[in-house]
Amino acid sequence: EIAGAPASPLDVVCLDANKDYVIISWKQPAVDGGSPILGYFIDKCEVGTDIWSQCNDTPVKFARFPITGLIEGRSYIFRVRAVNKTGISIPSRVSEPVAALDPVDRARLKSQPSAPWTGQIIVTEEEPAEGVVPGPPTDLSVTESTRSYVVLSWKPPGQRGHEGIMYFVEKCVADTENWQRVNTEIPVKSPRFALFDLAEGKSYRFRVRCSNSAGVGEPSEATDVTVVGDKLDIPKAPGR
Amino acid sequence: QGPAAPKSFWVSEGKHAKFRCYVTGKPEPETEWHWEGQPLSPGRRRLLYRDHDGGFVLKVLYCQPSDCGLYVCAARNTAGHTLSAVQLHVREPRVRFA
Repeated sequence: EIAGAPASPLDVVCLDANKDYVIISWKQPAVDGGSPILGYFIDKCEVGTDIWSQCNDTPVKFARFPITGLIEGRSYIFRVRAVNKTGISIPSRVSEPVAALDPVDRARLKSQPSAPWTGQIIVTEEEPAEGVVPGPPTDLSVTESTRSYVVLSWKPPGQRGHEGIMYFVEKCVADTENWQRVNTEIPVKSPRFALFDLAEGKSYRFRVRCSNSAGVGEPSEATDVTVVGDKLDIPKAPGR
Repeated sequence: QGPAAPKSFWVSEGKHAKFRCYVTGKPEPETEWHWEGQPLSPGRRRLLYRDHDGGFVLKVLYCQPSDCGLYVCAARNTAGHTLSAVQLHVREPRVRFA
C-alpha cells in the first residue's frame, strides 16, 4: 500500500453482459488518501487463468465501464484500482465471474443439463485430539405423536465442534431416570427422528445428544412427558 | 484427460484421513464414496458430509492398516457420470532403535 494513495474501490458488480461487452460498476473507496480521486483502472482476468490485463490506458472518471475485447462464451472476473496524484490503490476485491454471452444463450445454457465433474480428491491427515465435542442440541420437541410412532425434531447445537455431526436419541419412561439410547447403531444426521418401538399407554420423555469424531456431547433438555396413545397429538410450536 | 494412475496419499495409523472432492453438474449429481469397489455408508469410524464450501467429504477416523486401498468419489446425474480416485496408504508406527 502506498501512503497517500486511495483505498480500494468496493462492490465491483456486472450491470449488463452480452457477447460483445460487459458493463461493470463499482463504489468509490471510503478513503481518498488525502487528495481527490482522479479516476479508475479496470482489470480483467479470464476465469481459469491468472493473467490480469488492464482494460483502459487512461483512468476513467465514472464508476461504470464497458469492457470489450472478450471472447464469446468465456467467463471473466474484474477488479478496479483507484488513482489520485500520489498513486494507485491496491485492487478491489474481484467481481463474481461473468460470462460473455447474450442473455438468450445464457438462459439456454442455464437450463441445459451438464454431466458431473469431480475434482481431484485431496486427502489430509487430522489429529484425533483436535476435535471438539459438540454442545447439546436445542429446541427439542415432539412434533407428532400417535399410537404407533412419535416424531422428534430439534435444532443443531450452536457450539458445533467439528463438522459431521450425528445425533443419538434417548428415551426414558416417565418418572424414572433410566435413559436408553434408541439408535445405537444407525447414525442420525438430520435434526429429526421417528421412534416406533414404544409401548402404547406408557409415558415417555426424550432427549438428544450430538456426536462427532471427538465424542458424544451433553444431552439436550428433555421433552415434556408424552403419552403414547390413540390420539394424534400435535403440540404447540416450539420456542413460543 | 486420459486415464492416469490414482494419486497416493499416506496417513499415519491412528490418525484421521479426510478425503475431500469437489463435484459439479446439473442437475445436482448424486455422489457416492466407494472403497475397494464397495459403496461406503456412514458408521462409527466413517463420517460422510458436505462441507460449507460444497465439497463432498469422507472422513475415516483412527485409520488402521485395513483402511488402505482405492477410494473413489463417484458422481452421477441424468447427463452422465464420472469419478475421481485416490490410493490410501496407512503408515504404521515406526519402531525406533536407540
